[in-house]
Amino acid sequence: MTTKGKKDHSTATTWREPELSPISLLEAIRRHGRVWGDLAAQYGVTNPDPPWKVNLEATCDALSAEACALPLLERRAEEDELSASLYRDVPYPERQLLALAHSMIRRGLVDEEELGRRMKEVYRRLTSV
Amino acid sequence: MTEKHKPAPMVDEVSDFEVLEMAVRELAIEKGLFSAEDHRRWTEYVHTLGPLPAARLVAKAWLDPEYKKLAVRDGVKASLAVGVDWINGMPTNFGTPSDYCNLRVLEDTPKLKHVVVCTLCSCYPRPILGQSPEWYRTPNYRRRLVRWPRQVLAEFGLQLPADVEVRVADSNQKTRYIVLPVRPAGTEGWTEEQLAAIVTRDCLIGVAVPKPGVTANAKRPVHPAVHPIHHGH
Repeated sequence: MTTKGKKDHSTATTWREPELSPISLLEAIRRHGRVWGDLAAQYGVTNPDPPWKVNLEATCDALSAEACALPLLERRAEEDELSASLYRDVPYPERQLLALAHSMIRRGLVDEEELGRRMKEVYRRLTSV
Repeated sequence: MTEKHKPAPMVDEVSDFEVLEMAVRELAIEKGLFSAEDHRRWTEYVHTLGPLPAARLVAKAWLDPEYKKLAVRDGVKASLAVGVDWINGMPTNFGTPSDYCNLRVLEDTPKLKHVVVCTLCSCYPRPILGQSPEWYRTPNYRRRLVRWPRQVLAEFGLQLPADVEVRVADSNQKTRYIVLPVRPAGTEGWTEEQLAAIVTRDCLIGVAVPKPGVTANAKRPVHPAVHPIHHGH
């Protein structure tokens, strides 16, 4: 067996251990949030992915490519760590979303309380009619 | 409303995850981490992605020996024929051959099998192959494929004879790979469209080989990695 290709580390930033302690807002979602697989089964929907997955992918891309607030390599490394620990029991892509929010909170890109408030606003909006 | 026009089922419930995704996105835009226009552009891009261009590239190469030579020599140039511009299109838009712009097409032979991985994260030839499957992203696949490729391929249902060499291509920031599998017997006289239909995503990653009648990817189990991950080492 031969292995082709060499990793390019020239543009990689220094990797740091992600902060793995739970974040209460995300813990509540992890415990009580209904994942797409359950919702799809309950409502008889066959789409394997939740509709918001495309938006999540675009957010991850934009965070890395535009102002480079969260570089792809760092996000993916932290997602790996968090997927093997805190969010181990959460399916994909819900796990990817929790890991992204976790990384953003720990880096100070968003504040946990602010995110909680915004979630309440978004929920009110989505359920107002 | 008649039975004929019965609406498709839909999830009539707002989940915490849906709300979280939207809240994260809105705050990121308000804080200037990216603009609403940036997000729209990326969303449209993600929507366009899928494995069909890569499948068409393989089908064309099977039908046209000159195109096959071009594909193996210059995957970026060959991609233009299936509507993918690695240099001027998304996601780079750089107009120069920089990051993310080097596609290599790995030609299988009856005695040589290629398979693709990204040991570092989940680099994947998205412009031509779409979003990576969940198993491709897992540390379990990434670690084990480079150690025991033959065994991992067997787990995918691909049993290779001992005299077939296996080569693992490790993707990186600049170079992405797709596999050009051997054209299977029983496809003589097929059109490009017929051939492209059996070149599934898994065939293009290299964990499956094309077979007449097989046009979908098998559902793969996902296994966690047992040992801790230490990216910093």
